[in-house]
Amino acid sequence: MPDADRTIADATCTACGCLCDDIVLTVSNHRIVAAEHACPIGAAWFLADHGPGDRPIATIEGQPATAEQALGRAAEILAKSRSPLIVGLTRTSLETQARAVAIADRLGAAIDPGDSGDSLPRWRAIQRVGIVSATLGEVKNRADVIVFWGVDPITTHPRHLERYSVGPRGRFVPEGRAGRTVVVVDVAPTATSAVADRFVRIVADEQGEVLATLRALVLGVEMPEAEDPVRELAETLKTARYGAFFFGPDLGRSRGGEAVVEDALKLVRDLNHATRFVALTLGGPGNPSGAEAVLTWQAGSPRAVDFSAGFPQFLPDDATAEAMLSQGRADAVLIVADDPTGFLSGEARAHLGRIPTIVIGPDATSRDATVALGSATMGIHSGGTIMRCDGATLPLRPALATTRPSDLEWLTDLERRLTEIPGEPRAISP
Amino acid sequence: MTTLRIKGGRVIDPANAIDAERDVWIEDGRVIAGPSDPAARADRTIDASGYVVMPGGVDMHCHIAGSKVNAARAFRPEDKTGHIARTGHSRSGTTGSVPTTFATGYKYAGLGYTTAVDAAIAPFGARHAHHEFRDTPAIDKAFLVLMGNNHYVMDRIREGDRDRLRQYVAWLLNATGAYGVKAVNPGGVERWKEGHGNVSSLDQMVEGFGVTPRQILTELARAADDLAIPHPIHVHGPNLGLPGNFASTLETLAALDGHRAHLAHIQFHSYGGSLDKPGKIDSQVPILADYINTHRNLTVDVGQVVFGDTTSMTADGAVGQFLHSVTGRKWISQDIEQETGCGVVPITYENTNLVHALQWAIGLEWYLRVDDPWRIAMSTDHPNGGSFLAYPQIISYLMSRNHRDEALKALPDRVRARSGLADLSREYSLSEIAIITRAGPARMLGMTSKGHLGPGADGDVTIYAPSNDFQRMFSLPRFVIKSGHVVIDDGELRSPPDGTTLSVSPSYDESIVPDIAEWFDENASIRFANFAWQEGDAPSHFGSLP
Ligand code: SF4
Ligand SMILES: [Zn+2]
Repeated sequence: MPDADRTIADATCTACGCLCDDIVLTVSNHRIVAAEHACPIGAAWFLADHGPGDRPIATIEGQPATAEQALGRAAEILAKSRSPLIVGLTRTSLETQARAVAIADRLGAAIDPGDSGDSLPRWRAIQRVGIVSATLGEVKNRADVIVFWGVDPITTHPRHLERYSVGPRGRFVPEGRAGRTVVVVDVAPTATSAVADRFVRIVADEQGEVLATLRALVLGVEMPEAEDPVRELAETLKTARYGAFFFGPDLGRSRGGEAVVEDALKLVRDLNHATRFVALTLGGPGNPSGAEAVLTWQAGSPRAVDFSAGFPQFLPDDATAEAMLSQGRADAVLIVADDPTGFLSGEARAHLGRIPTIVIGPDATSRDATVALGSATMGIHSGGTIMRCDGATLPLRPALATTRPSDLEWLTDLERRLTEIPGEPRAISP
Repeated sequence: MTTLRIKGGRVIDPANAIDAERDVWIEDGRVIAGPSDPAARADRTIDASGYVVMPGGVDMHCHIAGSKVNAARAFRPEDKTGHIARTGHSRSGTTGSVPTTFATGYKYAGLGYTTAVDAAIAPFGARHAHHEFRDTPAIDKAFLVLMGNNHYVMDRIREGDRDRLRQYVAWLLNATGAYGVKAVNPGGVERWKEGHGNVSSLDQMVEGFGVTPRQILTELARAADDLAIPHPIHVHGPNLGLPGNFASTLETLAALDGHRAHLAHIQFHSYGGSLDKPGKIDSQVPILADYINTHRNLTVDVGQVVFGDTTSMTADGAVGQFLHSVTGRKWISQDIEQETGCGVVPITYENTNLVHALQWAIGLEWYLRVDDPWRIAMSTDHPNGGSFLAYPQIISYLMSRNHRDEALKALPDRVRARSGLADLSREYSLSEIAIITRAGPARMLGMTSKGHLGPGADGDVTIYAPSNDFQRMFSLPRFVIKSGHVVIDDGELRSPPDGTTLSVSPSYDESIVPDIAEWFDENASIRFANFAWQEGDAPSHFGSLP
């Protein structure tokens, strides 16, 4: 379809975890020229040059190749691999993620979307104590106390306050902002604390203690050592009619890791003895929640899944991208729609440099890879469905045409070739 | 055109009043009348002589897809008690109480079931559920969409605007791709979500909405009746699992007078005793079953409890909190905008625990005390009472009083004092089993091409090797055929078809849509335009492979 000048309403921005779906895009001369309602981060994303430029559609060992050649080589690498790893997957649709899990199943690969360092502590905590949570529309309509714990949405999720958590008038919060008490808890003042009603300063490595103290106070335990700001905070939490506690990945990265997340989840859970309280994350850009959801429904666990036994196993210590690479256990890597090098350790990156890599993504052919397959950009050129961190699903409304295949098309073709490669099926280890 | 002939089996097809040796012919996925020429040949013939041939099983109330099921999978690594290995033509998966999508499809098929209905999907989670259905092969799927705590619904009821309510119900069924209307603890979930506690009676006011559970129940029942959708309102009443709840169950049944309705997992709603004296809990099945026996507008499924570890999951958020507080086990709760909560808690039913043992007996009492098998469907409310994989065990308790009495002996003595199960001598026949596991639920769902083997029926057939060991007979069908394809042959999974998703599309007046859109955009956290699920939600893109 040619790009006529046109507008697209209700488009979804994938530049941060808010996934604002009210963007009105104007397309002119093969570019998005306006993104109404988008914040500066979102506008920068939409208005960027998403064209392939002079990048080739595919490369092998850095040399331009046809799609045909590159797919052939990619299939060969994966078919030969004894211990393949599939990573990335955050900047793509549920449909593509589902295909990637199918390929992992076929290959007996390990698969670990996104950054497990960010998300595993939260999942491990949820697996121990559960989580009392809500969709963002519930926060908008009900919450009269909002806690931002170690997160600064004004900086990272600019429209979060306006759309979901602070500004909107809701059925049970008809006054909007005036009907909500906003508390920021952080190690230093932030852009968000500047607009909050209260700021409580904490020390990063003492978060677990503070959360445990709050929980004790909420449960009516005398805590003579507790300092006044913590006491006051406990009072605010207890007297909420419906509170919302937003936290981020830093909580799991602080001293104590998943135990600290567990303290937060237990605090929120136990607030429900006396009132209503829910815990939520802010979510990441693209579709990381979707990757976890697809992996869960197809393989039973949200990340770090190893198919090498012929069925999925959740191996949180062994099947993360970091563990597979830094311990030198992966012998080929398929990287889809993301660049994991940013969060991998030096050892992991070094191993990545030693083994064959297949990269699929909009900028793949300008990255280091044995085989690179240049794809359309999700939400700009290619559609599909994405999932917000609270489980809401959104259909994408791609605005631009491209000559590049979508990552789903690349994967579908790759999978077909894998089925056609003659020879033995991969040995299944007992 | 491909034809399949299932030759010479004992065909048990109660919907067509058949229990006789005969052939079943399937052409292009549908049952056809056999050719008059006895020498006619089919593309494939299965010799079923000596075997029992039934329509594929229909599970009308289970939880197999969507956000709550997926939350249960993710938060219970310890529940991955088994797995299915991949083969050249099938996917791998994990089992346990909440299997993965592919495993769910294969396991249902392996059990001779070819249709399953997820009974509780939030409107907000509909698209997610459809994605999981796409990955649940070998069976046909459908879901019921939650409406009993829906803000738009409650507002229209308060205003007494029946017309707009009916239009909205029709619109929502279309927008979510749902099969029917579900009401879970009407008004009670909203009340609990907003911190007012659960409802205890049908006439308690839902704060902020000015309606009562009774009004929600009867008005939604009326809307479903007026729309003439195939399945009537599907009700999960108030006070699930609480001692003394039989009184509010009776109240609920009576409130539905004049409407068609299905009461879900009725076992969980049949307890005597009281909240102050939970130790006095006993079976109140006789009075409730008597009510069902004398009111033909109502049907039930059981929600049988089976002993072992499982996962409770419900849209009734208050129940989730209750279970967490009594078991002390981990708890997922999710409040979902406009409509519903969600609670997920692991639970272990122990045969040494009086309450659990009583729940087990109460479930069996239900099967035995409802006179007309067409009005009671087999369910464990999978996975709430236990896995659907327990159906063969339940069948054997129903078909053999001996087997039942043996099991009863292992339970605490007080069970016999508090449930009349030991006195019930009824034994189900094969034909009655065929009714409660396929013909009846299909009829209750209004799925006219399912649950029978007459011409035009779906080519979904299960072939069993007869045995006096009923549990074994029903656990291991000899053949399972879905849409004319053999999917299970002697326990082996063959290349299974995807199965389809069934939904209804009652018509509504388009002029109501702007009003819904305005309300939606003001209240929801996503845009109205991005809410409705569409068949074409699959990826769209402009690029293509060169
Ligand atoms: S807040 Fe986030 S999702 Fe919304 S427009 Fe800005 S970057 Fe995009
Ligand atoms: Zn149920």
